[in-house]
Parts: sequence; structure tokens; C-alpha cells
Amino acid sequence: MNEKRHMGLKTLNRVSNTSIYILLVIISVIWLLPFIFIVLQSFRVESTYQVGYVIPKQWGWQNYINLWNSDFKRWYLNTFIIALAAAVLITIIQLCMSYTLSRFRFKLRGPLMRFMLILGMFPGMLTMIILYRVLSDLGLTQANAVPGLILVSVASSGMGYYVSKGFFDTIPKSLDEAARVDGATRFQVLYKIILPLAKPIVIYTILTAFMGPWGDFVFARYVAFGTSSGYNVAVGMYSWLTNDQIARMYTTFCAGGVIVAVPVTILFLCLQKYYVEGVTGGAVKG
Amino acid sequence: MKKLFAILLALSMLLSMSVFASASSEIAGTYDVTIWAPDAAVDLTKSQVEAFNSSNEMGIVINATVEPVSEADAASNMILDVSAGADLYFFAQDQLSRLIQANALTKLGQGAAAFVKDNNSAGSVLAAQAGEDYYAYPLTADNGYFMYYDKSVVPEEDVDSLEAIIADCEAAGKNFSFELENAWYNAGFFFGTGCHSDWITDDAGNFIAIDDDFNSDAGLIAAKGIYKLVSSPIYVNSGNADFASGSAVVVTGTWNYATILEQLGDNFGVADLPSFEVDGAEYHIGSYSGCKLLGVKPQEDAVKGAALNQLAQFLTNKDCQIQRTVEFGWGPANKEAVQDEAVASNPALTALAEQSNYAIPQPNIHGSWWDIAKVITTDVKATDGSDDALKAALQKYEDSIAAVFEMTDEVRNAFTLIGTVGGTNWDTDLPMTAEGDIWTSNEAYEMEAGTEFKCRQGKAWDTAYPADNFVVETAGTYYVQLDAASGEVSLVPAA
Repeated sequence: MNEKRHMGLKTLNRVSNTSIYILLVIISVIWLLPFIFIVLQSFRVESTYQVGYVIPKQWGWQNYINLWNSDFKRWYLNTFIIALAAAVLITIIQLCMSYTLSRFRFKLRGPLMRFMLILGMFPGMLTMIILYRVLSDLGLTQANAVPGLILVSVASSGMGYYVSKGFFDTIPKSLDEAARVDGATRFQVLYKIILPLAKPIVIYTILTAFMGPWGDFVFARYVAFGTSSGYNVAVGMYSWLTNDQIARMYTTFCAGGVIVAVPVTILFLCLQKYYVEGVTGGAVKG
Repeated sequence: MKKLFAILLALSMLLSMSVFASASSEIAGTYDVTIWAPDAAVDLTKSQVEAFNSSNEMGIVINATVEPVSEADAASNMILDVSAGADLYFFAQDQLSRLIQANALTKLGQGAAAFVKDNNSAGSVLAAQAGEDYYAYPLTADNGYFMYYDKSVVPEEDVDSLEAIIADCEAAGKNFSFELENAWYNAGFFFGTGCHSDWITDDAGNFIAIDDDFNSDAGLIAAKGIYKLVSSPIYVNSGNADFASGSAVVVTGTWNYATILEQLGDNFGVADLPSFEVDGAEYHIGSYSGCKLLGVKPQEDAVKGAALNQLAQFLTNKDCQIQRTVEFGWGPANKEAVQDEAVASNPALTALAEQSNYAIPQPNIHGSWWDIAKVITTDVKATDGSDDALKAALQKYEDSIAAVFEMTDEVRNAFTLIGTVGGTNWDTDLPMTAEGDIWTSNEAYEMEAGTEFKCRQGKAWDTAYPADNFVVETAGTYYVQLDAASGEVSLVPAA
């Protein structure tokens, strides 16, 4: 009797496990298929238009060579410069901001935080028209879109302090005080004590700061309109999707998609350990 | 003082003379010019500008930057910031009004207008016109659609009948791609049954009225035709070159010619659109025919403007248009170029020419129309195909247009009551109904002494009675009555 019941439980476990695995496999296939599809299509060289099959009949690098011969190089470089500059500057600004709001006590600290919270609730797109005007008067549009877009993404970055401030708040203040007693300046406290402890949150900030401009479309299109040398990859590749071009550019577009995914994928693979810690770490204390 | 004034006057005359002189004689010079051309045409455009530089006898040297901007996106890009936009740009004709309103197009002078009228086909000249004036140079007259088909699925004798083609596709399990959820395509069915939809613009390019009869008996026949196709399982809402992914018929334009030729090889077939049959009568599906135009942005420097117009005329002349036909298969707008061997030997352009017998030159169309009219297809598809259901779909279309524009004939002619009547305050038009010339308000309204109102026609103030506001003297509940012939307004006490 006893043994039989034991067996039953085992079978039950096995059945539920199997069904869960089947479900997970189905979901992951659905999720992965588009990526596999794009990668495979990017190696299809027998034709350049959309076809009804997935596995290429002829494999080759032609689509990547086409990319190399198009403006794509320029777009990629633009995007990379913007994302990199934004990642560095936003990280510095945001960490300084968070440190200040977490450790310093000054009169307008409360109102300032509330003010930024409210400002942050307005969608950034609302400011698009006036920002365009300002950038255009500064001469930072079209061919000079790259510095313009860096400026736009960096300018308001201080407002994204919540997550890292939350994390800094969890680091005991006694550490700061001990360092101060030993003669460290405020900056040394941040640089030598807090940041090493806050590695995950620094990584998280870098990642999100990099990802924003990397995938930006709406603003990039608005600022760089009609000037190929100022496009980022999203805007540039979108210009291949018109009625008269899609049949010629479809597989090249897929190749572009693969190339765009590469740095982000590498970045995530290297930093994923910290990323998870960062996302959850900041949530410990608000 | 007088002396000073005289000197100033003389000086200003001298100055204006010198400006005038420079404008007329010194067109020679080097100009930095930005040109937006579709990606495919960038290299050709560059070489054509070079050809202009070496061939023109006016000493104009154009230093051109050619940016790849699709003619479909030109207006949306120009309107973002006209001052930063291109000096010369390719655009699709339906953007003309928007571009004029954004002050992104130079009105052509008499000479340029004559160049456009003398050299180009009638439809393309019409496309460049707003009111009495011309605003752009026709580049192509090939923006239309026709039918590509797979000869191994659809035999040649079937290509004239929509029903036969659908049957062939169903038998072979192949798709019929026709992007009917796009007003540019579904309107073809309506034109095929004799319907029309015309937008009327004033000289400034503003839309002032619409004359549309899609919601009519002829429109019902068109809706039945659409239903025949969309209710079939082989219908695909697509305008792409889909032959490699299961289609046997694709309705699209010249831009997909090369791709489809490659996809179909020996089975390549191309023809004008088929006819469909309703109640024993045949209706050939119509289409829009449209053009691509070359626009010149207004310039602060009049001399540069003149140089740009010279360049634009060169880029749209016969030879440049034929070069585009040879390189990309674009159909020319130039009357002489149409006769050229390169054009006549292109089967897609031949099919386009056959379809053009049933095509409507695409007029200026209000931007909102595309979103309103495309819904007809989805609505028709959702019906059971019965007359009542199809009529309801068309009625919905008419209501949507009226709601946006409120300019159906009926509304334009109707009188309405407006004033401080019925709790409104000169902001709401209250309906009136006519019996002959006598218009009576649909409801009786309670009116205080001192209530004021007018009766106006077409919700506009061009025709409104009485000339001064009607003022109610004695409080009561009244119908308002208007004699449209004499313009006399009176109150009729409600019983």
C-alpha cells in the first residue's frame, strides 16, 4: 500500500514536471523563433525579398557585405557614440545625484525630490517640439544630430536617481562616518567606500543608460530628419522599409538586425549577474 | 529736410536697381543645394546634377548633397522643419496640399508653368496644380497598381474575371494579395462602378468641400465586389511581392516589377485589373493613377531660387525621365518620353497603360480620408454579405466623413438654427427640416424675451437670416420658421 502510494506520487510528479516542461519548451520556441528566423534570413543570398520558407537555400555573407557598403556603418557608429557617451555621462550624473540625495541633508532636499518625481511623470515625448527648436537653434540637428542626441539623453538623467538612491540608503551610514573620521572627503567616501559596495547598481545604471539611446527611434528621427549622416541604426533601417525598397532590402534589414543585437547581447551576457542584483537590490528600501 | 528725402529716395532707387540687375543677369554662380531622392535614385540623381552642371549655358554650378529620403516620407519630413528641409525633393502627389500649406513649395512662375504644361501628360499636370497655380514638376506618372499573376496557377483566359481568378487560386491553394485595407486600393472597386470622391481645394490648398457618393447604389455594387474577394480564404491584405510566400496573384505597382520577374521566372504574368460580376453586369476594377513630383523649396535668395528652378526643369526633362525608366522602370510623365522604346518594351508599364483606361488621376485628398476609407474593407469583411449589412458599412463611412468635414451636399444646403436658443450659446447648430422653401426647426424651444438667433446655411455665415439677429419679444415656446426664398424669419407658437 505504502509503496504503491509512493509510486503514485512519483508518477504524478513526473507527469506534472513533463507537462510543465512541454509548456516551457513551447513558450521558449515561440519566443526564440523570431530571433532564429532573423539570423537565418540574414544569411539567405538567393533572393532579397520576403519568402515563405525559413531555411535559406543558399548561404552566404552577401547581406553583411551589403550592409558594409551602405550607410549602415555610419548609422552604427553614430548609435554607438551616442550610447557610449550617454552611458558614461548618465552614470556619473545619476550616481552623484543619488549619493547626494541619500547622504546629504539640505533644506530643499524633500521638495526637490518630490518635484523631480512629479516632473518624471510627464512623458518625455511632450518636450519633443521645444527640444527640437532648442537643438536646431544650437545647430545640433540633422548632420550634427549625434551631439544633440547625447545632450538630450544626458540632460535630464539626474531625475532617474530612485533606484540607486534606494540602494545607497541600504548601505550603513556608519561606514561613511568612519571614513570621514579617518579624513576622507565626501568624494572619497563615494568613490572608495560606496561605489565598491554598490557595484550591481552601477552596472545596472550603465546598462539602462546604454540601452535607451541604443534603441531610440522617435527622437532620433525627429532630430536627424532627412540627413542620412545623422541617423542612428533604428531610423536608418526604418528608411529601408518603404514600399519601393523592402523587396530589395529585406534580407539586408535582417542582417542589420543581427548586427544591432550583438553588442547588447555581449553586454548582457557579461553583466547579467550584476543586472539581476541591481534590479532587486535597489528595491530593498525605497 | 526735403533735400535729405530726395537723396534718400534716389539712393533707394539706385539700390533697388542694382538688386534687380543682379537678379536678372547674375544667375551664374555656385550653389549649395540639398536634394532628397529615394534611396535607389541617389546615384542617378547625382550624375544627372553633374550633367546639368556641365551642360547648362547659364554658368550655374550646383554643389549637391543628395540624401536618401523616400518620396512617401517627403512631406512628413519637410513639415517637421521647412527651413532645415531639402531645397529640392521628390514627393508623391498626395502630399501637395500639405506641402503648400507648410509653405514648402515655390509657386511656379509663368515660364516654369508653361514648361510643366507643354511637356507632361494631362494627369501629371493636374497633380502639380492647386487652384489656378502650379507648384511642382512632374517626375513620373506611374504611381498606380495593376495585377501580377503566376501563369501556372491562373491561365491567361481567366485574367479578366475576378471570380475565375479567385476560383483558380482556391483550387490551387494559393493566395490572392490585394491590399484592400488601404484606401488607395479599395477605392478602385468604387471607381469601377462609377462612384467618385473628390476633394475641392481653394487657391491656398485648403480643403473646402468633398463631393463623394460611395454610399450609393453603385457603391453597394462595389462593396459586393470587395466582399467577393475578402470573404474568400485565399485573400491576403498585402501589397508586397508575395509570390515566394504562397501568392498566385499580387496587386501592386511598377516598383515590384523586377522582384516579381525574378520570383516567377517563366510563369511571370502581368495584366490590368480584372472585372467582377454583380447581378449579371460586369464592372472593371478601377484604380488611382498618381505621379511623383519634384518640389522646390521657397528660397530667401531669389537668385538661388531661379537656379533651383532651372535644375528642376533639367531633372524632369525628357532625357532624365527616360534614364529613370531604363534604370528603375519608373514610368515617365513626359509626353515624348512615353513614346520611347524603353517605356514601350516594359511589360509592367504596358499593363499600367492598359489599367490607366480605368484609372482616376489621384486628386488632392484630405489626409484624414485614408484612415476613414480603409475601414470600409474591414467593415465589409465583417458582414455576412447581405445588402443591409453592406449598406450599413457604407453609411458608417459616410457618417465618418461628415463628422470630420460636415460638408456633404445635404449639410451644405441645409439651414440650421443658431443662437441663445435651447440652452445653447451660439455654439450649436440646431436642425431644421424643409418643406419646399419653408424651413422649420425640428423642435419647439422655450424662449425668454430677448433671446437672439439666426438661421444659417451649411453651418457657415455666407447665407444667414435675418441680417440682424432675430430678437424674441414675448417669452413662449416656439418653432422657428424660415422662408428661404424671401429670407423672412418668423416664430410659430407651439400648440
